[in-house]
Amino acid sequence: MAAEGGIFTFAPAIAVLPFVSFLIALSAGRYMPKKGAFAGIAATGGSLLLSLLMVAQVASGHAHHMELYTWVGGEGVPFELTFGILLDQLSTLMLVIVSTIAFLVHVFSLGYMNDEGEPGLPRYYAELGLFTASMLAFVFSDNILMAFMFFELVGLCSYLLIGFWFRRSGPPSAAKKAFLVTRFGDYFFLIGVVGIFATFGTGMFGGPGVEESFPVLAEEAMSAMAAGEAMPEAVTTFFGLSPGAWFGVLGLLVLGGVMGKSAQFPFHTWLPDAMEGPTPVSALIHAATMVAAGVYLVARMYGFYALLPTLLAIIAFVGGFTALFAATMGVVKDEIKQVLAYSTISQYGYIMLGLGGGGYVAGVFHLTTHAFFKALLFLGAGSVIIAMHHNEDMWEMGGLKDRMPVTYYAFLSGSLALAGIVPFSGFWSKDEVLYETLVHGLGGSPILLGAYLMGIVAVFFTGFYTFRMVLLTFHGDPRSDLAEDPEPVRWNVKIPLAILGTLAAVVGVINLVPVHAVVGAVPEFLHDWLFHGPETLNGAHYEELTEQFAGYSAGAIPGLGGLGTLFASAGVSLAVALAGSALALGLYRGPDPAEHTEKLGALKTVLYNNYYQDEYQVWLAQDLTEGTVAGTAKRFDDGVVDGLVNRVSDVSLVSGYFLRRVQTGIVSNYAALITLGLVVLLVAFGIMGGWFGGVFA
Amino acid sequence: MMPLQAPISPDWLALTPAIVLGVFAMVLFLLDSIDPDESNDGLLAGVATVGTASAMVVAGVFLLSGVGAGEGVSVFNGQLVVDGMALFFTFIFTSVAALICLASIEYLAGTDDIAGYYSLVVLATTGMTVMAAANSLATVFVSLELLSLPSYGLVAYLKNDRGSVEAGMKYFLIGALSSAVFAYGISLVYGVTGSLLLPDIASALAGGETLANLGGLLGVGVLMLVGGFAFKTASVPFHFWAPEAYEGAPAPVSAFLSSASKAAGFVIAFRVFTVAFPIETVAGTIDWVLAFQILAVVTMTLGNFAAATQENVKRMLAYSSVGHAGYVLIGLAALTGQGSGEIVLGAGMIHLLVYGFMNTGAFLFVAMAEYWEVGRTFEDYNGLATKAPVACVAMTVFMFSLAGLPIGGGFLSKYYLFAGAVGAGVWWLAGVAAINSALSLFYYSRVVKAMWLEEPNGNLGGIDTRGYPTGLYSAVMIAAVATVLLLPALGVFSDVAFEAANAVLRLGP
Repeated sequence: MAAEGGIFTFAPAIAVLPFVSFLIALSAGRYMPKKGAFAGIAATGGSLLLSLLMVAQVASGHAHHMELYTWVGGEGVPFELTFGILLDQLSTLMLVIVSTIAFLVHVFSLGYMNDEGEPGLPRYYAELGLFTASMLAFVFSDNILMAFMFFELVGLCSYLLIGFWFRRSGPPSAAKKAFLVTRFGDYFFLIGVVGIFATFGTGMFGGPGVEESFPVLAEEAMSAMAAGEAMPEAVTTFFGLSPGAWFGVLGLLVLGGVMGKSAQFPFHTWLPDAMEGPTPVSALIHAATMVAAGVYLVARMYGFYALLPTLLAIIAFVGGFTALFAATMGVVKDEIKQVLAYSTISQYGYIMLGLGGGGYVAGVFHLTTHAFFKALLFLGAGSVIIAMHHNEDMWEMGGLKDRMPVTYYAFLSGSLALAGIVPFSGFWSKDEVLYETLVHGLGGSPILLGAYLMGIVAVFFTGFYTFRMVLLTFHGDPRSDLAEDPEPVRWNVKIPLAILGTLAAVVGVINLVPVHAVVGAVPEFLHDWLFHGPETLNGAHYEELTEQFAGYSAGAIPGLGGLGTLFASAGVSLAVALAGSALALGLYRGPDPAEHTEKLGALKTVLYNNYYQDEYQVWLAQDLTEGTVAGTAKRFDDGVVDGLVNRVSDVSLVSGYFLRRVQTGIVSNYAALITLGLVVLLVAFGIMGGWFGGVFA
Repeated sequence: MMPLQAPISPDWLALTPAIVLGVFAMVLFLLDSIDPDESNDGLLAGVATVGTASAMVVAGVFLLSGVGAGEGVSVFNGQLVVDGMALFFTFIFTSVAALICLASIEYLAGTDDIAGYYSLVVLATTGMTVMAAANSLATVFVSLELLSLPSYGLVAYLKNDRGSVEAGMKYFLIGALSSAVFAYGISLVYGVTGSLLLPDIASALAGGETLANLGGLLGVGVLMLVGGFAFKTASVPFHFWAPEAYEGAPAPVSAFLSSASKAAGFVIAFRVFTVAFPIETVAGTIDWVLAFQILAVVTMTLGNFAAATQENVKRMLAYSSVGHAGYVLIGLAALTGQGSGEIVLGAGMIHLLVYGFMNTGAFLFVAMAEYWEVGRTFEDYNGLATKAPVACVAMTVFMFSLAGLPIGGGFLSKYYLFAGAVGAGVWWLAGVAAINSALSLFYYSRVVKAMWLEEPNGNLGGIDTRGYPTGLYSAVMIAAVATVLLLPALGVFSDVAFEAANAVLRLGP
């Protein structure tokens, strides 16, 4: 393995390096200059370099799979639990994204945490290292159980980091909320993992050299059923459900974990609260790690979801609805990080919409561009927050444009990408998500049109809240003394911003679909990249699957043809985005913009309260669960279960005392009892075995 | 390590672990006879530890290099056979013995005839090693006695301690009775089949003719053999000696008997029943699987229920040891022919391996408490963690691993046992075991609660005045680390165990 693996031999180091930095920061961080930051920077830098090498290696046509450790297994054991690494087009791409952002976040933290003189920095860098390591290991997991384990570690680390300032009142409660809400989803995920093992006997995602993988087994089962043949032996379904229905149940269970982590409605409530953590952590959580983990899992096992049209429709609808729903809440928020939080929920909605709408490449594309522009926006917001001495209220800002130009231009680049204005990266990817959903909706799955409609309306709100945020923060006259004289930021803040600002502007070139349609010479890098994955793990295969099993086919707007539809879709989404942005410009332009939220009337209250999502969930958790359900359960527990347990323990204690009495300490008693016991056994077995001839027969 | 292609040559070299142990026992005698009066505690303990540890290394190397692969190496015309199972158990015995020798230095300080103690431990280990390889009823009996006689001496080692002497006496009397039963069983089996070699017994029974004529006689003989094994493994109804012997004996000896000696009882039971009396052949006459099912249920239930009511920690551990014998009996009781026999038998072997570390560790912790003169009851352990936190972490690991919580290897080995039982169609056996396991958590956690949550009673002064016993403390720590490591690393041993079990089971017809 090692000999032919070449550079792949070093793949585990991608996750091991940040883990080592975790250990270093934890044990020796106190004594190091910058409290362990350099260890983290070196480690994530190393991970980034290795990830880039892996991409290069995969690009030369060598997707790779290796098994590291068999955890439970053996000849007679029905299935193996292993740790392994799957390096294909999707995972290496994601490794580069995660390690890039982790690297920049580490550098930025020098400015945000060290320069601000925060206490507890070794703990901060240790947690950051573990967070990065867990996410990287999650990304290259080759089976769903390993993915689940690191998924949980990611959740644990985000709990620790959100609650980093645990002496204040807000962060611990926000951390707990994030932990509990995502845990609720993960509960279903865990059952799903067990179900997948029970059904397929394997949790492998697939890849070169993998004999059995559950998406392929599921595909075989579905094909066999469609052809009227017997199911493959390796697959067992439960509760008498047909493979389609049972796989749907499994898919939904796993989706529970996805929706919790990726903050999809109705599990999105933890994410705005998670803003209580340090801003660099928010950048990491939103752009590349925690939240991205959910949708990445869908992409990772897309071969499974592609078989199930109902699941795809659910994913698309949840995505579309979340995109719209979160965007409407973003328009009234006053704090810069809150606006960004809702935009994250909304943008992950788009990614789900893309994946559910049959646009595997589109979903991954938006995941990529979003990672860069959202990391940028958060780091930009972090820079503003440093400048404003940790005041986050946008109404106290204004006029920062001239006082911090680097931050402004970088932030503007990210905002244009978020709003989806051509030619910034977000435009290309969001447009492709909407386009894919539209054409599949037109091509025989009209239900997707509903999801598409929600997506396109959300574009308007996105443009609006984005430019409202930019105008309030950077334009007009300063509205407070802090904004008049902001604290300067140093190179360690500016350099990450500059790098990400450039990336947010140009990263769209990896998949210029509309341009490619006109000028064939302009390549669609990402499309080609993902379509050349290993067998059963590539875009082309997924396209066949969605067509064969989900009935997805590309349609066109009547009278426009394929090319026309492509441009009509792009035109519409751009126009809507511009309209939203223009409305914001109209309302909040000028030196001293007014609050216009009053005009919304009663709607404002609803939006401010986030549609009372928190309230009803608290009601569910507290009044219903704790009051009614838990009360009933307690009565049952006290009466029946405890009663039973008490009886059992009474019986066991009594019999225990009896046994003590038998143990008299007199050896001749023992000899008698032993002999008696043997005789009883002899007689009983003698009668059973017929040793005594006809006497007892 | 490259697997050896050919079996080891000459054949008798396969017995190297036993030979090493024998030689080291002689060296101990020699040292003692050169210099009988001087107290060379350290030297004697060192020689004994090195001897057992090097036998362990040899067994481990043999195991991993495939010396005993397949049918194994047959020595002395088939009287002994060194196969995977023999080496696996040799590894258990020698590792426990090494821990015991290491742990005894401080415990024995001030007693007479320390060389005698160590040579008895090493000789008993030699006996066990031969038991693991015994392939005929004659060698089984001889090696069993080679283990038993030193054990009696060891239990009564503290000559001036009433408890120790009384326990040794009782152990000896019950042992003599059991040996008599066992020897009589052997003579009956020989009378029916005309052979003492295990494979020959199986082929004598294969035709069915012998069984039809002399089935009753064979049945009585087989049940008497069961009695002999039940004595060595402390299974009901031959368990009466165990609580008293374990309580009265020096604590390291209790650890040795309850871990290694019990495993030795199991290895001969595993081999004799699977090789000489294949259940497919004899089921109609003597359904020993059913007999072991009954013994398993009664043993684990009695052991756990009695342990739950003890006030004395060492006695609690003694009964818990009876309970664990019940779990391991599943290894024979679930050989129903359904499901996978190798998993069932292999699971029993794995549990004994893990048990070797966690139970030895627990008894050695008790030895340490005795060394500190803390006292013997649960209450005496109150607040121990305030004075000796690291040792208490180790004890917590042992307790929870014994209960089957996923903190040490005990979780996985129990899981394999229960899964094997379910796979063999005796789900009720797994159910009883699971209920017992849940009950055991109650009394194991009492120790943990006393150590960590209760306030000290003012009896912990010995820790300050006597300090940490180096050898004993390091043995406890080694056992704790091994217990924890066996959780992730069990894969290495489980493969070996399943393979070895498979090889033994394939010897049947």
